[in-house]
Amino acid sequence: MIVCVAVVGHQNNPLYIQSFTEADDALKLHHIVHCSLDVIDERVNNPKKSGTTLNEAFLGLLYPTLNYKVYGYLTNTKVKFIMVTTDLDVRDTDVRSFFRKFHAAYVDAVSNPFHVPGKKITSRTFAESVSNIVRSYTFN
Amino acid sequence: MEEYPEELRTPPVSLVALFGYSDLHASITKHLHSQQPPINALAFPDLSHLSLLLAHDDQISRTSSFRDPLSVSDSSSPDPSRCGGILKRDWLLKHRTKVPALVAAFFPSHHIFGDPTQWLQVCSDLDSLKSVIRPKNIKLVVIVVQSSPQEEISEDRLVALRKRAELDSKYVLFFNSSIDSELTLSLSRIASAFAELALAYYREEGRRIKSRIEKRSSNSLDLNVRYCFKVAVYAEFRRDWGEALKFYEDAYHSLHEMIGTSTRLPAIQRLVEIKTIAEQLHFKISTLLLHGGKLIEAVTWFHQHKASYEKVVGSTDFIFLHWEWMSRQFLVFAELLETSSATVQSFSSLNQGTAEISLTEFEFYPAYYYQLAAHYLKDKKSALELLLSMSETAREIDSSSESITPSVYVGQFAQLLEKGEAFTLHSITDEEYTCYTISEAKRFQDSFEIIAWLKKSYESFTNLKARRMAALCAFELAREYFGLADPSNAKFFFDIAANLYRQEGWVTLLWEVLGYLRECSRNLGAFKDFVELSLEMVALPVTSYDDSGNLGNRKYGPGGPATISGRESIHREVFTLVGCEAELRSSTRESGFTLPSDSPLHLEIDLVSPLRPVLLASVSFHEQMIKPGASCSITVSLLSHLPLPVEIDNLEVQFNQSKCNFVVRNSQRPLWASASNTLPSVSQVENEPSLVLVPNNWLRLTYAIKSEQSGKLECLSVLAKLGPLFTICSRAESPAAMEELPVWKHENCVESLPIKDPVLAVFGQKATQVEEPEPQVDVSLGASGPALVGEDFTMPIAVTSKGHAIYSGELKINLVDVGGGGLFSPREAEPFSLESHHVEICGINGAEGNDESESETGNIKKIQQSFGLVSVPDLKEGESWSCKLEIRWHRAKPVMLFVSLGYLPHGSEANAQKVHIHKSLQIEGKMPLFISNRFMLPFRRDHLLLNRIKPAPDSEDTSSLPLNEKSVLVVSAKNCTEIALRLVSMSIELDDEQGETSCSIQQSRGCGDDSGSASLAPGEEYKKVFTVIPTMKTPKLGLGSVHLKWRRQGGNTTEACVSTKHKLPDVNVEASPLVMSLNCPPYAILGEPFTYAVRICNQTQLLQEAKFALADAQSFVLSGSHSNTVSVLPKSEHVLSYKLVPLTCGQQQLPKITLTSVRYSAEFQPSAVASSVFVFPSAPQANKANSTAR
Repeated sequence: MIVCVAVVGHQNNPLYIQSFTEADDALKLHHIVHCSLDVIDERVNNPKKSGTTLNEAFLGLLYPTLNYKVYGYLTNTKVKFIMVTTDLDVRDTDVRSFFRKFHAAYVDAVSNPFHVPGKKITSRTFAESVSNIVRSYTFN
Repeated sequence: MEEYPEELRTPPVSLVALFGYSDLHASITKHLHSQQPPINALAFPDLSHLSLLLAHDDQISRTSSFRDPLSVSDSSSPDPSRCGGILKRDWLLKHRTKVPALVAAFFPSHHIFGDPTQWLQVCSDLDSLKSVIRPKNIKLVVIVVQSSPQEEISEDRLVALRKRAELDSKYVLFFNSSIDSELTLSLSRIASAFAELALAYYREEGRRIKSRIEKRSSNSLDLNVRYCFKVAVYAEFRRDWGEALKFYEDAYHSLHEMIGTSTRLPAIQRLVEIKTIAEQLHFKISTLLLHGGKLIEAVTWFHQHKASYEKVVGSTDFIFLHWEWMSRQFLVFAELLETSSATVQSFSSLNQGTAEISLTEFEFYPAYYYQLAAHYLKDKKSALELLLSMSETAREIDSSSESITPSVYVGQFAQLLEKGEAFTLHSITDEEYTCYTISEAKRFQDSFEIIAWLKKSYESFTNLKARRMAALCAFELAREYFGLADPSNAKFFFDIAANLYRQEGWVTLLWEVLGYLRECSRNLGAFKDFVELSLEMVALPVTSYDDSGNLGNRKYGPGGPATISGRESIHREVFTLVGCEAELRSSTRESGFTLPSDSPLHLEIDLVSPLRPVLLASVSFHEQMIKPGASCSITVSLLSHLPLPVEIDNLEVQFNQSKCNFVVRNSQRPLWASASNTLPSVSQVENEPSLVLVPNNWLRLTYAIKSEQSGKLECLSVLAKLGPLFTICSRAESPAAMEELPVWKHENCVESLPIKDPVLAVFGQKATQVEEPEPQVDVSLGASGPALVGEDFTMPIAVTSKGHAIYSGELKINLVDVGGGGLFSPREAEPFSLESHHVEICGINGAEGNDESESETGNIKKIQQSFGLVSVPDLKEGESWSCKLEIRWHRAKPVMLFVSLGYLPHGSEANAQKVHIHKSLQIEGKMPLFISNRFMLPFRRDHLLLNRIKPAPDSEDTSSLPLNEKSVLVVSAKNCTEIALRLVSMSIELDDEQGETSCSIQQSRGCGDDSGSASLAPGEEYKKVFTVIPTMKTPKLGLGSVHLKWRRQGGNTTEACVSTKHKLPDVNVEASPLVMSLNCPPYAILGEPFTYAVRICNQTQLLQEAKFALADAQSFVLSGSHSNTVSVLPKSEHVLSYKLVPLTCGQQQLPKITLTSVRYSAEFQPSAVASSVFVFPSAPQANKANSTAR
């Protein structure tokens, strides 16, 4: 189950962060999302050291923590998407397709002429489409 | 890691036992230690100590019922292994320290080869030794110690010895310590034999146990685990890491199968035993993998280990045991990773080979594991706390169950009972066990461990530049300190986290941290910090409305949930605390602060302060320049992001000119007595009907202010008073340069402008320039006319006071080239030399009578080529002062003269401002005279100058003069200015000695004024004639230069003349081969014949042929040959003589003669002027009379 998705801006500031859990652990998920930015930084800045090739937007598994797995995605405008899931056995292709849909929803949201780039995304339509995407994905 | 026994942590080392010859033991032991791999040795002085080896073994074998059935005999021994166990606690230690792989018996050689009784003793010793070691398969080495190498050796005895000891010949060694070379040889022999035998021993033991596994002699998993473990240990003794790893893994997997199947022990203890052994096996596997450099495998293994035991929780009541165990796994792995970090290679192979589990960067850092170890320990701590709070019995457990100790099996515990003299171990029930573990757990201070690990993790992440991970660790660390009631340490780490969250705008996280920090400052009694933190929290862009009351505050920090209602409640709390009356505040003790009742609270907000959203002050002047004393509008806009409206008592706007400060008073509020005391210097007080800061709305206030002082007027800060004792001072910001608020800039909310005027909102500045007061002094530049090159041009400068007195006046003079390019030519070699300046200031003459005072007061007077600084004496109103500036032009060039006077109008006060007057004037520099020259040859005497016929390539412009012939030089000077000039003299001066010998120049007499003095009107030309006789043949003869002395006409006659030089051009002097002169009377009379002669003079040593042709003329009748060729002898003259009779009157052209020199192929015709003559009708009388008179 996807428990949290986030859009993070250029200055590593959260543009949109939403958790999908019943339990009140939003704060913990915020911490996890925030920490995963370190991994993204490391991957983007030292692509050689971490052995990843950055010729695609999908960054793969960022890091496993306690009961969660964190996946990352970097758009070509350097906006980061982060997804936290509780599923332990996840196929990369599923995550990729999730991020593709998420990216499409994001593009729709920021294409709104009333949206100011760099500001938080407060669009209700975006929130709805994100929760629909999240609900449609259970990885195992 | 330290809690594991030593033998588990270090790789095993082979063990041997030495008997006899104790004096050799030290050197042998030392040598064995230095071997690679090293060998440990047990040393016994002689064979009588053989029982010691046995005794150990006995004691050990007594407890091991399964292995040596013969030795189970002692009924007194406790039998806790009633239900058995998996691994025995001391088995590994036994093999590391007690059971040797081989025994080495030392015998002196004379015992063997000498006396038969001694030989018999040796034999019996060997027998007893064999009886002890044979059942255990321990190997034997016999070492014969020789006292000297020459000692006799009996072959028979040696064979007998081998037989008796049942040894191969290579294990009967000779040892000779008498010679060094022999000693080292013997030692290395012994070491290699020992290593070989030890290897054989461990291999055989391993094989023996392995066969049991293969036989599946017992189906019990316990035994399988045990056997695998032993095989692995024996493999480790042999340094066969691959096999060791394989069997450890086998043991690990078998063990995992036991979960749920084993029924031997009570449930909880069973699981504890399994987990403990799994932990040890895992530790061994990880160590082996890491030492082998297989980092990725080790990490992958750890993940499998974690995954397979993560869910094996056991009893949920005592879940803290599980958390503790998990925490230990992470900690141990972290420590292992850290110690083997030298072998950590780059992760280049990451994510490639490991398809099923992809590993990420941070899983290779110990910090990650330390952090999780701390996390699990925290879980354990809270689980234990929950357990203690839930059950009464658990709370009452104290250290009553002291008698419980670890039993002989790994992971088992037993009760030690005292039965008379003997102690017996009894197995315990789960209740007893849990009591024991709870009491043990209570003794530990988990927080310190958690802090230590988190600190390690924090430091490590900081070093890795993983700032966010580090911040999370810092946050956890601070929470732990907070839990320990250590607010100062907690504050330190909370601050670290808060800084990062602030910077990156993670509002919810920041809210949480600030909530804790607020509590810390409350506990520390730091009232100001508390208020600051509260205000920062309140001004955070938290916009979530959901009031999660149903979830309780358990999961939140002390700040509560990040909601708008949370902000509002903190807002109210803070403003009641700071806004209340002095008396009230001292009584509000529930806040936790004890404050002196009259201590004011003052908050400073600068541009980087996190409190900027609390009060943002934007100040904008409406004008960029204002006149002193004139009023100007200024708009002060205030913005607050506090959730509730705030009423301001009064507002003080502060400027860099403190006289301009003003106060805005809220007229609804009473005037505080203290407030008026603190603002003594304020002259301007404005009243506003209300001063309320509404959230997210600019409060715009526009006032007029005046400044008398010129210069910059800048608004520094806006100080808001929000109660009798609470002030906030916010740094003023220009709307043009206002930065966005770091935490608010990403919010998607409507932004309004600080000022309604859109131009000011974009370009408004918090500073303006106050102009200088109008100068009431006149500076006049007296002259304007064009300056003449060479003269000292005087520029009178007059300073006249017209209303201002002048104090410490300074006159700055600057010359600036108008055309650009500077005042000196770039072509000059030394650009800064004096001559290089085309225009320079020569001097400044003060007004008469002022010179003394200047020198007395020591005033400044600095002059450079293009810059001058003169101090002006103090002048009272109406007085004036003047000076003269002398400027000299070296080239004709227009320049701009800038004169600026700076003075103090009101005496020399320290802070007074200078008033400046600027004047400028463009002055044209002109050449006064245009000098030209012309050469003329004698009349009717023409020289053949070869250079004229065929000019040399480089002498196009130079004129040629014949040698030793008098030529005429006419020098003319034309006045090209618009004023009359007086020419004082004109002369030619030869350059040097050489010039004087090579030619002579004389002023021709009789023409014009001798002195050369003349006055020249504008445009008039003055000519003077000189004769030049060159005496040297040279292509370049310097004729010197014309020196002209002149001055302005009508000027002061005492004024010095200006001397101007003009260099004359070089001339070419050559000897002419032929000279033709025409002889003709000055005039002719009608009808009267006269002689016209043409003389051809050959000046060469050669015969010259000359052709001539004479054309007829209408006005004359001519006699003589018309054309012919004549030869002129060297250095002689030929005369062509004609008789002419004029036929008409007037100016008449003589018959034209054309002369051609054959040798030089040069043709010559005299000019029309030279070949004409005036014909009178009759002889002129007057002229005649005159000529007769003369």
